[in-house]
Amino acid sequence: MLVLSRRMGESVAIGDDIVITVVALSGNQVRIGIEAPREVRVLRQEIFQAVQEENRLAANAAGATRRLEDVAKKLRGKGDDDIGA
Amino acid sequence: MLQKNCVAKATMTSALDSCPSAVGLAGLLNHEIEFPLGLLGFPDCRRFMLKRFASGDANESPFFILDSLDQELSFPVIHPDFVSPDYTVPIFPQLLDSLGAKAGAELVPLLIVTVRERVEDTTVNLQGPLLISAQSHTGVQLVVEEFPLRHPLVNGPSR
Repeated sequence: MLVLSRRMGESVAIGDDIVITVVALSGNQVRIGIEAPREVRVLRQEIFQAVQEENRLAANAAGATRRLEDVAKKLRGKGDDDIGA
Repeated sequence: MLQKNCVAKATMTSALDSCPSAVGLAGLLNHEIEFPLGLLGFPDCRRFMLKRFASGDANESPFFILDSLDQELSFPVIHPDFVSPDYTVPIFPQLLDSLGAKAGAELVPLLIVTVRERVEDTTVNLQGPLLISAQSHTGVQLVVEEFPLRHPLVNGPSR
């Protein structure tokens, strides 16, 4: 990993069209500004990982088909109160 | 943001008919759909087929199955209208371009369903919605940070 120091207001360029700027510092928090083309996905890493993990769970659920039938039955068989939260 | 009890029983039984995006959704069925970026965690799964999920007793269900044509895997999905009528996915111009769509109206949103051990624990991923163009049959998975990753689909009996 490349590690470098930047002061407030200074930036790092990644490739031709991505710039990351230190916008504010307070305590142990750093606010950074990110300029990147729209097609580049910029996300907080933990959110990115959480969605990845949820996709894996959804894709690999064992017996999903049978249980999906049960869910469909449950949704059909119950009143409005049972759907959504 | 998300209303309680928002899905009327009637919409569950007549799935496609009462769904505002029914036309777009029906047009996607049994058609090859391309996700050029894959799904998050599955960058190599780019080609999919959307199928209706009919439950065993031949009753129509609100679920569809997004089947990968590249790998042995599939994702149960549901249209957001069955979960919350308030749910909208933010659409920006570059997104329309990347999906080869002219207007937001031709984009069909779908939510991935996570089936767990207990029926009551089934959740819908509102944070990582899929958007598919009904015209170009191109799709993408977005991440909308402010929505929950695990929204309960079924309220179980209180324990």
